[in-house]
Amino acid sequence: MTRILSLVLAAALTLLSSCGGDGTRTLHIYNWTYYMPDEVITAFEEEYDCDVVIDYFSSNEEMFAKLQAGGGRGYDIVFPSADYTSIMIKLGMLAPIDHAMIPNLQYIPDIVKQVATYDPGMEYSVPYFMGAAGIAVNTTLAPPDYERSWMIFADERLAGRMTLLDDMREVMGDALKTLGYSNNSTSPDEVQEAARLVADEWKPNIVKFDAESFAKSFARGEFAVVHCYAENIIAEMSAEELEKVDFFLPETGGSMYIDNMVILKDAPEKELAHQFINFIHEPENYAIFLDEFSFPPTTNTAAAAYMETTPLYTAEDLEGYEVIADLGEDLDMYNKLWEPIRYMD
Amino acid sequence: MRKPRKDKAGIMLAAPMGLWVTLFFAVPLLIIVTYSFLKKGLYGGVEWEPSFDAYRQVLDPDFIAVTLRTLWTSILATLTCLALALPTAYAIARSRHQTLFLFLTIIPFWTSSLIRIYAWINLLSTEGLVNNILLALGIIKEPLHLIYNLFAVILVLVYMYLPFAILPLFTAFDRFDFTLVDAARDLGSSKLGALVRIMLPSVRSGITTALVFTAIPVFGAYTVPLLVGGMGSTMVGNIIVDQVQKTRNWPLASAFSVILTLVSLIGVLTVLRGGRKDKKSKEVRT
Repeated sequence: MTRILSLVLAAALTLLSSCGGDGTRTLHIYNWTYYMPDEVITAFEEEYDCDVVIDYFSSNEEMFAKLQAGGGRGYDIVFPSADYTSIMIKLGMLAPIDHAMIPNLQYIPDIVKQVATYDPGMEYSVPYFMGAAGIAVNTTLAPPDYERSWMIFADERLAGRMTLLDDMREVMGDALKTLGYSNNSTSPDEVQEAARLVADEWKPNIVKFDAESFAKSFARGEFAVVHCYAENIIAEMSAEELEKVDFFLPETGGSMYIDNMVILKDAPEKELAHQFINFIHEPENYAIFLDEFSFPPTTNTAAAAYMETTPLYTAEDLEGYEVIADLGEDLDMYNKLWEPIRYMD
Repeated sequence: MRKPRKDKAGIMLAAPMGLWVTLFFAVPLLIIVTYSFLKKGLYGGVEWEPSFDAYRQVLDPDFIAVTLRTLWTSILATLTCLALALPTAYAIARSRHQTLFLFLTIIPFWTSSLIRIYAWINLLSTEGLVNNILLALGIIKEPLHLIYNLFAVILVLVYMYLPFAILPLFTAFDRFDFTLVDAARDLGSSKLGALVRIMLPSVRSGITTALVFTAIPVFGAYTVPLLVGGMGSTMVGNIIVDQVQKTRNWPLASAFSVILTLVSLIGVLTVLRGGRKDKKSKEVRT
């Protein structure tokens, strides 16, 4: 729920920054909460003599609903995840990317483009960051021989001290991967088997499905094992505290995400938007973003040279990870199986 | 001549409020009701095609269980609020330091409810203050599971909405003429009898208001079950948010909202009718 607070702050900042204009160009960005360092924004404003106004969302659905309702008018750049990028391309909501204006696209490695099957040629979207949720273990609280896989959630010794993300696609995807299937499986048998794995083996040992407050409780030692994004725990723990934390991506693979930068079809500042995307992928600038969140340089390999921190996981760890794709009508099958898992005791 | 003019003034005075309510309450409610009878859009939103799918889905056994759980949780929390608020409001009304106590009742509202919920997480967690104190005093050997369950949800709900029960009850007690209790005792009633038979009926409207003021927000609670609840404490409010933000099923979210509104409405009408009947019978008696 820190999100709400940051939203309020963000709104206040937006007001402030939109007053500070001196008649120059203004770039409107719609981004995830806490996903881009202010330092980079300020540097861009100075270099291009413009204002940047940012609004924030906390889920793809929230962002998409706002754009659909016409609330996206005036935005230049939006940051949808892979599944919503493909939806927005399908619905013709995006402007084509002019590669000539973004020379820094050269730093985006082929692997990311291959994984982005919905737009491998980056015609409508430029990957911002590719990463995955993993597992954080408080090594002072867990038994020394804990399993470094998704099956750690089946470990009864840790019962009552673990949480899974309150995110159906992440959890079900990881269960599918554990069983050796695709995390985007549309086979009813496979999905049912995964649901059983979650319901019978993982769920009995977890305190709750939580995507809001678990990181604070993990930092305090209330939870010993949490399913999380690296940035969740980075935000709550000091470097010293992080030393007792083992963050890993299980080798069996799991769900991965790509968040993209897209330019809306009706964007008023298309040129500035292209310049912004190019600026973000300037390795020196990109390294600031990576350092802020201890992210690995998966999406801009040249940035590695400028990084000052050691990331919590590496690009190689993402081997076997599959991007969460849009399931269309098949999402309902997942929803039905997820309901009893999520809402019942 | 006088009467029509007075009526006009009444309409004029009521118009701003009436317009406000129509615009910001009735219209959105109408939209929600309409959406609940439409087909869901593949990527959120609705398709303009009439459908009862949403209400069929509401009848799913899991969802019925959540609805019943919500009802049960709300009743427990509301009654606990009332049980705590009655003596508190009575004491405040009888106290010489009324203003101070009312002030203290309202103080929590100065802080965002979210921050107060996080404070409760800190108090109740396994490593939290309550467990630490109990352990230090040797009252318990193992930390108690005080959080991430239904108990925590009800406890925090009661905490959040207790002032909404205390304030209307205080007003009722404050208006009550306590010499009537003395009179009843002079006429031979026991102390308890005087309180129950003379005072309680007079503050009944306060009780009604307190019930309505606590039950409705509790019934629609969302953040409390999300943050301090555990596996089996999801409430209808959480399902509504999930249907909009995750499952992209707006008609189902709307159908649940309609049910929430209807149940609240039925509750309010029943309580209000009870109150009115009571007033009538009192008028007959006098």
